[in-house]
Amino acid sequence: MDKDLLQLHRLIDGGLSPEDEKDIMQKIEADPRLQREFDGLVSAIDLLKTGERLPVDAAFSSEVMKKLPARKEPLGRRISGFLFGERVLRWNIASFAAVSAVLLLVVVSGLFYQSSGKSSRVADNVSQGSAVKTVALSFHAPEAKAVSLAGDFNKWSVEAGAMKRNSNGTWTIEVPLKPGVYHYMFVVDGEGWVSDPRAESYRDDGFGNKNAILRIDSI
Amino acid sequence: MTIQEEEYSIIEECRRGASEVYAVLVERYQEMIYNVAYRMIGDSEAARDIAQESFIAAYTALRDFRYGSKFSTWLCSIVMNRCRDYLRSQKQMLPLDDISELVEKGPNPEVILSDKQSARDLQSALRALPEDYRQVIVLKHFEGLDYREMEAILGVSANALKVKTYRAREWLKKYIEKGSGQDG
Repeated sequence: MDKDLLQLHRLIDGGLSPEDEKDIMQKIEADPRLQREFDGLVSAIDLLKTGERLPVDAAFSSEVMKKLPARKEPLGRRISGFLFGERVLRWNIASFAAVSAVLLLVVVSGLFYQSSGKSSRVADNVSQGSAVKTVALSFHAPEAKAVSLAGDFNKWSVEAGAMKRNSNGTWTIEVPLKPGVYHYMFVVDGEGWVSDPRAESYRDDGFGNKNAILRIDSI
Repeated sequence: MTIQEEEYSIIEECRRGASEVYAVLVERYQEMIYNVAYRMIGDSEAARDIAQESFIAAYTALRDFRYGSKFSTWLCSIVMNRCRDYLRSQKQMLPLDDISELVEKGPNPEVILSDKQSARDLQSALRALPEDYRQVIVLKHFEGLDYREMEAILGVSANALKVKTYRAREWLKKYIEKGSGQDG
């Protein structure tokens, strides 16, 4: 594509300075070949302008909303709903007797386990199960000036997870995470989004790349 | 609060399980997404399905949305991917003669000369455009996006997209000229 032709397209895009615009307009007037090119391009753009936007019918949005998959409520909200949600309890003699028997059984078996020294170990497991784990991630990029870790655990922030460079060009970071499944990528020099080549699995991110998946199991 | 900040807060609420607020985003972008799909594939019913599926796919993948980018841009990249998949599946079904005929013969000259304004004419030109040219034409000339926004949607550098847009316009120009030439 020659220089004048490029200028024609820039003129159509509105990206020329007033001087360049004046210059190409003079050339168009003086050169029949350029005039034909310009007219042809204008015809093409005119054809595109004939396209009216199609309206969307009224049911479109409600149909989408009906088809949305049910999102599981977060565990914390479900627990608080169970604990603090209002409910009506109906009692009779039989249910009172049954509940009393269960309570008695729980107390007796609790005393039994306490005497055999097992309850503390169970309690330890429960607390460790929801504990935060520190995960070390690394990425080899000797040419990079900065690398950061961005994921759904830090709202995909490019700044929040700045990694440290080792002498061999490997960038490392340690992140505290609760058990769960996380998506992440490395961001090289603030703009290049790169998947972790050592991730256990990947998922399409909608931007043409693949997010790495990190799974933190409960202890 | 800017539109972007409002949209981030809606996304955050959706992530916490309040799906009903997603309707705000659907209503805001339904026309844009539907029209992009329609211009890309040329079939209004299939475009409606693809547009709806794109909103649902975006909702399902909301945890992958990156703050700092525009929701509309992200949504647009999703609908573009779906259109590409659809066109690929249709290409397998369309006889080869039909495609080459469209490209080689250009538009029906009678249609071009008698009624340049017709929507059918425009759709036949778009249908004949190679897919990667059609993408840039739809985003640049129908949605009025700048090259930076197109870069975020298509994952191709702004400079490469400029060149592609220039070539797409040249292609359209020749396509129209072929149609006019056949008449005379």
